[in-house]
Amino acid sequence: MWLYMKMAWRNVLRNKRRTLIAALAIGIGLGSMIFTDALIIGMKKGMIQSVTDTFLGDAQIHRQNYRETRENDLLVHRPAEVLARLAGDSRVRDFSPRVISAGMISSPANVSAVVVYGVDPAKERDLSEVDEYLQQGRYLEAGERGLIMGRHLADTLEVALGERVVISLSKPESGDIVQQLFKITGVFKMPVEELEKGTVFVPLTLVQEMLGIDDRYHEIAVKFRDPAYAYSEDETDFTREYTTNQNEAVNWPELVPQMKMVLELSNLSLGIMGIIIFGVVVFGLINTLFMSLYERMFEFGVIRAIGTRAGGVRRLVMLEAAALGIISILLGMAMGFLLTLVVTKTGIDYRGIEFAGSTFTKMLYPVMEWRQYILHPLMIFGFTLLVSIYPAVHAGRMKVADALRRSL
Amino acid sequence: MSANVISARKIKKDYQDNGIVVHAVRGIDLDISEGEFTAIVGPSGSGKTTFLNVLSGLDTPTEGEVVLNGQKISEMSGRELSDFRRDNIGFIFQAYNLIPVLTVTENVEYVMLLQGIGREERQKKVIRLLKELDIEEYADRFPPQLSGGQQQRVAIARAMVSRPTLVLADEPTANLDSRTSGDLLDMMRELNERTGMTFLFSTHDQLVMERARRLIVLKDGRIDSDKTRS
Repeated sequence: MWLYMKMAWRNVLRNKRRTLIAALAIGIGLGSMIFTDALIIGMKKGMIQSVTDTFLGDAQIHRQNYRETRENDLLVHRPAEVLARLAGDSRVRDFSPRVISAGMISSPANVSAVVVYGVDPAKERDLSEVDEYLQQGRYLEAGERGLIMGRHLADTLEVALGERVVISLSKPESGDIVQQLFKITGVFKMPVEELEKGTVFVPLTLVQEMLGIDDRYHEIAVKFRDPAYAYSEDETDFTREYTTNQNEAVNWPELVPQMKMVLELSNLSLGIMGIIIFGVVVFGLINTLFMSLYERMFEFGVIRAIGTRAGGVRRLVMLEAAALGIISILLGMAMGFLLTLVVTKTGIDYRGIEFAGSTFTKMLYPVMEWRQYILHPLMIFGFTLLVSIYPAVHAGRMKVADALRRSL
Repeated sequence: MSANVISARKIKKDYQDNGIVVHAVRGIDLDISEGEFTAIVGPSGSGKTTFLNVLSGLDTPTEGEVVLNGQKISEMSGRELSDFRRDNIGFIFQAYNLIPVLTVTENVEYVMLLQGIGREERQKKVIRLLKELDIEEYADRFPPQLSGGQQQRVAIARAMVSRPTLVLADEPTANLDSRTSGDLLDMMRELNERTGMTFLFSTHDQLVMERARRLIVLKDGRIDSDKTRS
């Protein structure tokens, strides 16, 4: 075996230019696979972040059936207990209780249907990024009869910063209409259309007062400390633990199922890309091996004539493929690593670009993982060996006399 | 009388060339005894190489039977044939055909590696043979770094290192100048006399014909004449 290994290695290095071209072709394939994988992970992370960081949170807790019905009277059960538990939960970085109610907003010029979010200004500032999107004015302050709204809604209502609007809500239990006057303290411009066009934020206690639901909430949004835990697409132990006492906890894949589908599509894209790259590898390799085989037909004839068994020739061809595979993998890993490293530093600016209903709000950075430098090279190596079986069998089957008659 | 190394009976070999059937060998009977130094001669296309290929088991005859060292090679499997060639036949080709990625030493010990002979014994045999053939100083060189004559000496060393009963040489002097050819042929004849190995040449080189003790002339796939010199 050592003899064949030595011969295979030297044979691969014999025609350096051809080996380099073949190795580059395979290496570029592997390198782009590594880079694409890193980019897709970064893209997935960016998409999840865009959705969860802006306002949604990594997970939310509601009363059971609230998400389906959006009924005002379905409030989080035993909210104080839940909040205390969240405060002591090491997995949780931030949480923010919210009161949500559909209502009307009216200005002297116009009226519009809106969703009113009562939020704890301090907690919400930590959890979501609404404050970061303020274009004018300032963020909410607890106890102040202030309100912030999107630029689009302000334009619809023809109102400006400092002007007053009236919010009308319906009380959950009695159905009575309550109205309150609010001063516009801030105007934001957010990449989420739904928040921009039809949502207003007001201090939590004011909405609770209007609805008559002191210290009770419709929703508690949660952000986790560990990003890997937060980006997990599967059900987590958190959701299982907090789905209790008539409440349900759901994480982002359930809150935005379309996002999960998009991510699955990304995985599919990576799979398709992988198949294309492997196709390139297969044909590149078969071509190289056959070229080398036909070029050395006489040589194979000679080694068979002097007593090498067909199995020895097969082994030699496969070892040559393996040697070519190793060179290609080293090249590909280096190329993939360098490209990913550069883009990790520079990033790709996708900010503001909408993809599958979600707008990227942050720079896109590829994410390197060990898996990319173990799994993909191993797959390429395995594939190389698999693909080399065909030329190896072909070489083993050649008739010695025919091979000795042929030389290029 | 010496035993037959080769016994070929009614050998015919046809092959297709661009759809045309070529009758390369048209019924040859031949016996070669142990220790012979024989040349098969004839013009191009007379069937020399094809006949040699059939005799050595590199090709199968269309008809007829070859017995080599007392064994019917037509009854052997591919694997058995490979092992048989490895252990019983040494090949010397026209264009030297050494393995270009192996050094002189590695080329010579290749067959012994296939035979599973230990490192020490291999090295001992290789060194002795390289000395004998006066190519010891090139032991670590690769074939492309050698002249034609030096390469053919290495090829002879490779063919003889495992002490085969038969050495087949297909046009061994075709690419060499007459002086080198003469030297190599004298060396092979000396080895034949000293070791008793059987040498069978296919050639149309006058120098080979002059040194052969038996001259078989092929014409159109048949033996035209078979003369043994005293």
